[in-house]
Order: sequence, then structure tokens, then C-alpha cells
Amino acid sequence: MENAEIRVALSDVSEGGKVKVVGFSNVGAGFTRRLQEMGVLPGETVNIVRNASYGPVEIRVKGSNLLIGRGIARKVIVEVIDE
Amino acid sequence: MNRFFTIALAGNANVGKSVIFNQLTGGNQITGNWPGKTVEKAEGFIEQEGIKIRIVDLPGIYSLSTYSEEEIIAREFIAKEKPDLVIDVIDASNLERNLFFLLQLVELEVPVVVALNQYDIVEEQGIEIDDKKLSAFLGLPVVKTIATRNKGLTELFETVKDALLKEEKLTGHILYGKEVEDRIRKMVREIQHEINSIYPARFIAIKLLEKDPAMVSEISSPEILSLAETLSKELEEIHGESVESVIISERYAVASRIAEGVSIRKKEGRVNISDRLDRIFLHRVWGNVILAFLVLFVFFFVFRFGEFFSEKIGELSKIIEPYFVRLPLPPYLRDIIFKGGIEGAISGIAIVLPYIAPFYFILSILEDSGFLARIAFLTDNLMHKLGVHGKAFIPLFESFGCNVPAIMGTRVMERDRDRFIASVLATLVPCSARTVVILGLVAVFLGPLYALLIYAIDFSIIYLVGVLLNKYMKGTPSGLIMEMPRLRKPVLRIILRQTWIRLKEFFTFAMPIIICANIVMELLILTNSIEPLSGFLNPLARFMGLPPLATVALIFGVFRKELTLIMLATFLGTTNFALMLSPQQIFIFGLVSVIYIPCVATIAALVRELGRFKAFLITIGEVVGAFILGGLVNLILTLF
Ligand SMILES: Nc1nc2c(ncn2[C@@H]2O[C@H](COP(=O)(O)OP(=O)(O)OP(=O)(O)O)[C@@H](O)[C@H]2O)c(=O)[nH]1
Ligand SMILES: [Mg+2]
Repeated sequence: MENAEIRVALSDVSEGGKVKVVGFSNVGAGFTRRLQEMGVLPGETVNIVRNASYGPVEIRVKGSNLLIGRGIARKVIVEVIDE
Repeated sequence: MNRFFTIALAGNANVGKSVIFNQLTGGNQITGNWPGKTVEKAEGFIEQEGIKIRIVDLPGIYSLSTYSEEEIIAREFIAKEKPDLVIDVIDASNLERNLFFLLQLVELEVPVVVALNQYDIVEEQGIEIDDKKLSAFLGLPVVKTIATRNKGLTELFETVKDALLKEEKLTGHILYGKEVEDRIRKMVREIQHEINSIYPARFIAIKLLEKDPAMVSEISSPEILSLAETLSKELEEIHGESVESVIISERYAVASRIAEGVSIRKKEGRVNISDRLDRIFLHRVWGNVILAFLVLFVFFFVFRFGEFFSEKIGELSKIIEPYFVRLPLPPYLRDIIFKGGIEGAISGIAIVLPYIAPFYFILSILEDSGFLARIAFLTDNLMHKLGVHGKAFIPLFESFGCNVPAIMGTRVMERDRDRFIASVLATLVPCSARTVVILGLVAVFLGPLYALLIYAIDFSIIYLVGVLLNKYMKGTPSGLIMEMPRLRKPVLRIILRQTWIRLKEFFTFAMPIIICANIVMELLILTNSIEPLSGFLNPLARFMGLPPLATVALIFGVFRKELTLIMLATFLGTTNFALMLSPQQIFIFGLVSVIYIPCVATIAALVRELGRFKAFLITIGEVVGAFILGGLVNLILTLF
């Protein structure tokens, strides 16, 4: 819990981690909107299911799994709740 | 009473719309376990007790705001063509996200009947959903369904029929939180006075508050626009988020409240097998190892299966021939009917069917289990180098079956650049017809290793073309946002049906072309026109080191790729191709067949999807490229 204040990119969180979405940096309006429509909303808790150093990041949000390309995942800002 | 209605099947991607459509109408929509299969609306008809219903199957859609092209098709249909009723198909195991879309249908005030589908999955998870309560929350009829087992569909249809015949309007009612709701009301009051639109006032109000660009440009009243701006700003200040986030959160808040209110946990559900399997299938090392084995297995299985049955069916024409020769017909007519028509049909079936049938069967298993989406995950990195992200892999993989739906399938890509690259690559993927050439000719006469070599060359070309296009075309590939479907046990009935839908295409579409081409060829032979034609093609043939007749066969291949082989068989009167072609020639013939533009149907699809100019470029590029490659290989093989 001591990391609660640290903000990182979604792509940097390791597998099995749990984070809270904070916001988006320059993903482009279309992607920001789509991410939010898929449930990746500010304040939402998200589990990182799979994250290798390359390829898409798989997360679990709103009860289903979502693949997010690495390029986009780099621009989703999150707060780590649980490593 | 005699009435005609239009209803639409809408909802998130991969929830079961097309399965329901196929069950209700006996239609032939492609189904499978990954999002984004249906990319074009399809319609079917049901006639019952004097009412006629047109059912339209729409592409999956997550929101009424525009994103990718297939979603726009769905949105436009619902919003502009105003179907009499929409069946919103909901994945019951993913209530929140599915309700998020339903809430938008409610905003649009279209009449909705809800199909609570995939109910078997929820039950497996040990959860029960109170459909009566859900119905009460929404103000809409709700029917539980399990589309794959044909459960609940009769009831669904009855409910729809009732709703259509009853005059009362079936529009739901949902209230958002007070802060948002108050502002919607303020907007609605103004809009009702000022604006006459095809959209309901509440829908316009919400869209304007959200700053939806399409709606903003449609509204001309400056007072209303400025009111919307003020109210949006207030919302942003209260919540400290963009107004877009505020409204989306608001919908999700309502969606999760409803979802929680109607779900009852009955018992401990089974562990999620999909997640466990994924730990192996998506493992950095094991995932790729499994994939490699799978590919090899498919290759050898289809090859051995095809080889065996191809020979068996091929013997058929020898059995019929003596009977036919005895028929009292003039010899030229007998040649046309027997050699052209009947033998053409038999060799079409003998050469093609034994390879494509097992291939389609396996493809359907990969599709329906959700394994295809895993392959997309594993190859995402590679695909990025080729200029397309993981989602494009699925159309590319579908291309192994047939290039045409694959090219249409590139609509799931959001940008023109990505679509162009994916389409070019799709035309280079060896489709089932080309698989027939590779296996039936190269593998049978030169051995499976040479067939693998042809695949290797083809894949290298795809890689090269992809990397080059990616490097030299403006822009960078766009990102991936895709729902990962759960792995599940494929349903045999659905798989057989899927295989059959594809095979039927072969009988109804390909066979007539094959038979006609054979008859034309027989006519050319009878009228001695082959000589001048092959003479004309002679330089090309010499360049590639092929007999002139083989080049004629290559030309026929533009209609259907299998025709290259079938024409050869017609020339030879046997499928023992080694009689006419040396091993080197077999290899070159196979290679060129595989590389040059697939067929007229593909060219037509390219024209439809990308426009004439790009289609022309691709066609010419690939034909010339293939011939040059054939020449080069010939040169190299002759030199060494
Ligand atoms: N277990 C289960 N699987 C289902 C059910 N209904 C559909 N499926 C499966 O869900 C997958 C998706 O079905 P489709 O009908 O292709 O989905 P769709 O909504 O048309 O998807 P898109 O065209 O991509 O938007 C297929 O693999 C179906 O076999 C169901 O009630 N139970
Ligand atoms: Mg569909």
C-alpha cells in the first residue's frame, strides 16, 4: 500500500498488479473515448493480467479482459494499489 | 392483419447476434469467438401468421459515438433507418459493459427487446440473473437465451412479435444522477421549443453535453449550443474531469447499479478455465511453441487427408468414362459434355474438396474456441513490424480461408492506412484455393518439404511487403483496444454449420466457374485455338521455364486459383502432373500460382473496399511481381 501515491504508465505495471486509473496523456481523443467506453475510466480499479516487455497489455476491467496495445498503454496514467 | 416490420439485432461485439440471426432466419452469417466478425449488415426474412419481419444483423457496437467503420454502419442503421424494434443482444456474463450500450439505446428512445444471451456461461459461474427485476429496472422486456443451444429463441421471437403488434411504444426509462439529470432537463426544455430533428430531445441534449462533434455540427441554434457549453463547463468543474468522462462514468454508474441489483450469487462458480489455459497459451515461450506445433499439425493433417481422398475421388471419372463413351453422341459434343463438363466437375471436386473440407473444419474450431484471438495476441509484435496491430491479424488469418471476407474484415481497423496495408497483405496470404495448389501439386509430387518452402517464401514476401509499406507509407500504425474473448469449448453443431457455410460457397460459387472454364477450355482445344494462345504466351513461358500450356492454365487461374491445377489436369487428361512438368517446373508453377493476385472475386473486393486505383495498383503489382519471381527462380535453378 505504500506505493499508493506513485503514478506510472499502465505499461510499466508488472503482471498481477492492481492499479487505479488516473488519466490519459495525449492518446488522442478517439482512443481516450474508446478506453473510457470500455470501462477504463478515471477512478476505476484495473488488474494487470498479462504484461510482457513487448506486445499488448492484457487487463481485467468491469469483469472482462481487454487487450491494450503497448503504445496506448504507455499513455494511460495509473496509481499502483498493489504490486 | 398483414404487416411488414424491420427489426435489427444490435449489441456489443461477440455477444451472439449472428448466431441468433442464423437460428431465426436460417441465414449464413459467419460466427466465431472474437469481436468484429460481422462488418456489414445482413438481412433475412421471417413470415408468420400474416406478418412479415425483416431481420437485420448488425456489426458489434460499443457506443453510439463513432469509432471504427463497422460500428458506424451499425449506428447509422439504428439512428437513421429507424427499425421498428431493436433486439439488444447482451452477454449476460459481462453485464456492465453490455448495459452501457443498452443505456444509449434507451437515450435514443428506440423500442428495445433485450436478449439476455450466453446465459449458460453465467450459470457456470454460479450466478443467477433476475430477469424480471432487470426488466423492471429498464422498462423493457427481457428474455433469457442460450443461442448456441437454440434455447429461449422461440420465446424471444414471440416477445418481439407481441411488442411489434402492440401499439404502445417500448422505450425504456433511465435516470442519471441529479447533477447530470438536472442539466439534461434544462437542455431538453430548450431543445423541445427550438429544434425539429429525427432524434429525440433527450438524446440531443446528452450528445450536446458530451460535446459529440457530429451532433454539435448538426445543431444550428447558437443559443442551444452556448447553453450546452455552459452546462458542460459546470459539470467539468463539479467533477474535475472532462465532461466526456463525466457522462461515460454516469452511464457506467447506472449500469453497475443495475448489474449489482439483478445478479445473485448462487454458488461458488467453476474456476475460470480460460484464465488458466491462457497462462500456457499466451506464455512467452510455450505459447509460441504450441502455435508452431499447431501450424505444422494442420499442415500435415490437411495434406494427408487431402492426398488420400483426392486420389479416391479422382478414380471416379475413370469408372464413369466407359459408360459415357458408349452414348450415341457426336464426338465433339461428347468431348464438350464429358471432358469439359463432367470431368471438369469431378476434377474440381477431386482436386479441391478433399483439401478445403478438413481445412475449413479446423479453421472453424480455431474460430469458435477463441484460439484465434490468442494467436492475435502472440503475433501482435510481429504484426506491428508489418504496420498492422493485433486486431488485423484476425482478418489476415481468415485470409487462409478466403481473401474476400478478409479484405472486408479489415474494416475493424480504424484507419485507411492500416486498412490498405492489411488488405495488401491479405491478398498475399495463401487462401484455401492456393492451399490446394501447394498441397495437391507441390506436396504430392515434390514432397511436403517443398510445399513448406513455398509457404516460407510466401511468408517472407508478406513480411517484406509489410515492413516496406509500413516504412514508406505516411503515419504510424494505430493502437489496439480489443476485448479478449474467453476461451470456450467449441460446439460441434456450430462448427459443422460454419464448415458447411464455407463449403456451400464452393459448390454454389466456385463449381459453376470451374465447370464453365473447363468447357471453354475444351472448346478452345476443339477449335484449335490453344496453339495461337500459347504461342502468344510463349515468351512469358520461356522466361519462367514453363511449358506454354502451363501459362495458359495460369491465366485461367485468375478466375479461381484452383483452376490452374484443374486446367493442367484437363490438358493432361490425368492428375499425374509429373507427366508434363519437371520437378523444377512444378515448383515454379506452384510458386507463381500462389503469389499472383488471387482471383477476380478478390479484385472485386479490393475495388469495393479500397477504390479502383488502389485495387489496380495491387493487382498489377502482384501479377508482375509473381512473374518476375518465377523468372528469377527459374534462372537460379537453371544456373545451379
Ligand atoms: N456458450 C455460449 N456461447 C455462445 C452463445 N451465443 C453465442 N455464443 C458464441 O459466441 C461467439 C460469438 O457469437 P456471434 O454470433 O458470432 O457474435 P456476434 O455478436 O455476431 O459478434 P460480432 O459479429 O463480432 O459483433 C460464438 O463463438 C458463438 O458460438 C451462448 O448463448 N452460449
Ligand atoms: Mg456477428
